[in-house]
Amino acid sequence: MAERYVVRFSKNGYAKYTSHLDLLRFFKRAFRKSGIQLRYSQGFNPHPKLGFAQPLSLGYSSCCELLEFETDKKYETEEIYELLKNEMPDGLDLQWCKGIDGEIKFLAASCESAEYSVTIPYVLSESDLKKCIDGYLAQEEITAMKRQKKDKKMVAVDIKRMIRKLEGKASEHGIKLSMLLDCGSFSNCSPELVIASFCSFAQIDIPRYEMEVERREINFYNNLQF
Amino acid sequence: MELQKKLDHIFKQIEKPGRYIGGEVNSIKKNIENIETRMAFAFPDLYEIGMSYLGMQILYNTVNKRENLYCERVFAPAPDMESLMKKEGVPLFTLETKTPLKDMDMVGFTLQYEMSFTTVLNMLDLAHIPLLSKERGEEFPIIAAGGPCAFNPEPLADFMDMFLIGDGEELLPEVLELYAQCKKENLSKREFLERACKLEGVYVPSFYDFEYNNNGTIKSLCKLNENAPEYVLRNIIPETESLDFPVKPVIPMVEAVHDRAVVETFRGCTRGCRFCQAGMIYRPVRERSKDKIIELAKAQIEATGNDELSLLSLSTSDYSDFHDLTLELMDYCKSNNVSLSLPSLRIDKFAFEVLNKIQEYKKSGLTYAPEAGTQRLRDVINKGVTEEDIYTSVEQAIELGWRHIKLYFMIGLPTETEEDLDGIAQIAKNIIDINKKYNGPKGGRFRLTVSVSNFVPKADTPFQWERQNTPEEFEAKHRYLEQRLKIKGVTFNYHDSYTSVCEAVFARGDRRTGKALLKAHQLGCRLDGWSEHFYPEKWKEAFKSSGILPEFYAYRERQEDEILPWEHIRCGVSKKFLMSEKHKAYKGATTSDCRYGCVGCGINRRVDCKLEGIYG
Repeated sequence: MAERYVVRFSKNGYAKYTSHLDLLRFFKRAFRKSGIQLRYSQGFNPHPKLGFAQPLSLGYSSCCELLEFETDKKYETEEIYELLKNEMPDGLDLQWCKGIDGEIKFLAASCESAEYSVTIPYVLSESDLKKCIDGYLAQEEITAMKRQKKDKKMVAVDIKRMIRKLEGKASEHGIKLSMLLDCGSFSNCSPELVIASFCSFAQIDIPRYEMEVERREINFYNNLQF
Repeated sequence: MELQKKLDHIFKQIEKPGRYIGGEVNSIKKNIENIETRMAFAFPDLYEIGMSYLGMQILYNTVNKRENLYCERVFAPAPDMESLMKKEGVPLFTLETKTPLKDMDMVGFTLQYEMSFTTVLNMLDLAHIPLLSKERGEEFPIIAAGGPCAFNPEPLADFMDMFLIGDGEELLPEVLELYAQCKKENLSKREFLERACKLEGVYVPSFYDFEYNNNGTIKSLCKLNENAPEYVLRNIIPETESLDFPVKPVIPMVEAVHDRAVVETFRGCTRGCRFCQAGMIYRPVRERSKDKIIELAKAQIEATGNDELSLLSLSTSDYSDFHDLTLELMDYCKSNNVSLSLPSLRIDKFAFEVLNKIQEYKKSGLTYAPEAGTQRLRDVINKGVTEEDIYTSVEQAIELGWRHIKLYFMIGLPTETEEDLDGIAQIAKNIIDINKKYNGPKGGRFRLTVSVSNFVPKADTPFQWERQNTPEEFEAKHRYLEQRLKIKGVTFNYHDSYTSVCEAVFARGDRRTGKALLKAHQLGCRLDGWSEHFYPEKWKEAFKSSGILPEFYAYRERQEDEILPWEHIRCGVSKKFLMSEKHKAYKGATTSDCRYGCVGCGINRRVDCKLEGIYG
């Protein structure tokens, strides 16, 4: 019987420029180095059973990344935490390790929504910001341009029902949006779509590279919590 | 705006920002206040290439072991990063501390291939450091270079303050310590260089100048500084057993070309192929003991979590205890889920046993390098491989289930005729026929790749006097081979011929060729080793406007009494030996591996050859 675990870690500073695949390679290596023996898939090309709950876009920071993995042998979660913690490079910090009930589906298949915080260095008054957000959300359709995977063409999509919550805070440094969006294999809304359509609606003319995005939380179906 | 913010903006707009962030596992952080000499190790190519280079890991480790020295890394930015750095006014910086290169005490470039020379200049430019040595005042770092291309340093002589020739493990820290000492004594750069040039392996180009004959050849080398030696001896470390080797190499965060643990089994090669520069300039063979190699391999696997191990040398199976080493490593790798890869293996019976085990399911391709199409020409270049060897081995490979075989050849070798090109096609045809014996008249899924590269004569080889083919000659040969190799199941590859011209100009160029480099840089050339960034038209213009003619530097045969631009850099193999090898080549006479007995190359006048005559 396989043992299942999940670790939570944050991604900050320059580490946020590490891509999803590079991070996966890093963790595979970190496990090998730490001596924690992962369970391998069967077949001609066995690979270790581990995966992120959700990929994080390049350039985003996060305080809530989840990595799920399986081992053949049972470990104390404390032991895994201690062994793995030492392998983390600058910008990646391990927060905890917990066991997962064998009955639960893969985390990647259980994601429902995710919360993001977006910092935009554009000064608006609290009331103007509120007006913008209310107006944005009150639209009949919220149209965003999305590149199709198949033919790479830009198509308009309505993301209105995928935005579960959108709030804002204004300060003298700029605005901070907090958004809760559909996330996962069932319905997924990239924060990029909200950022682009909101900025266009609110006529905020700030280059994307001046904004910072942080993932704050990943939520799962059936109120699964860790 | 502060640097971090600028970088944040830039990193969000480029591909693979992970190339520029540093902070990798095993990278070194030091408190700058305690450092006496700060150096940036510069690799003039992209991160993924440079991070696969063991030499950098070795020197990084060696220098950083010393508390008072700090070695950081810097690589060439990709074009997208480069243009944003220019736009935002961010000068080229080190990965470890994001310090601009111009604030370092020394910037040391490794010169692995000629086509990286313009990237060296571009990196200096991006660092806001004047390119010409004479234009850099005391406020700029010492700019140094080493590596195999430093054996003919002249094309970069105007840009470098010093070259480090030969083994760097002892020389580089020594130079950095000397720099620290000179700084304490408040000495000028020039005074530092005057002291440094007394160290074995240090060449300070500004202490010398050349006079030229009317026909363009060198008349004489003049010494401009009385402290400088008459000639520069390559730094040779007599044995590698006790040398530091990095067991905790920096692990690239962005996937590098080679992402694996590597142990250098030996340095040098005894085979004496006449076209091969590495086979001459790294003599003599210096091996690590089997136990040491295994110890280093284990330590590295444990410290890195790598799942692949590779051995590095110029000829893997020439290791004197290769049999036992391989068996022990195979055992270790198997029980630790590590895959073993053995590059440049001579494919004999034992190699098959090994490969059959380590590639059980995934039979990657097998590669042979006959280098020339006929026995006559293989004797000329002293490549001790017979066609019989190849066919026997290929037959065995096909029988054992390999489905992809690759052959390497060179064209444009001295004395080459059409017959030699026909020979290449004949070998391909014969291999296809062998395959049909086993896999039926249609040949099955079998693929044969014939890869042809253009011969570039190199300094310090018996062929250093030879002419190179012109691009037209190369292209005619490519077309000829293309016709001959229209064989079902055969893929034919060849190299761009103008790249080879550029390589040839700088492989044997004199000090004046630096002008062409400067011009090419001004025209925007860099990352020339990448076909997508190589612009032959710009190079043609650079040669034309700087008056550097490929006719003179690449296509011209040198007279034997001509003074060659690299004669004052002594690699240890004598000119007399190289010349006698050249004469033997023209007679088709071979020279045996010196493990059968000394062949008189001259290196044992500098250092002991431990493997001399071991085969008796």
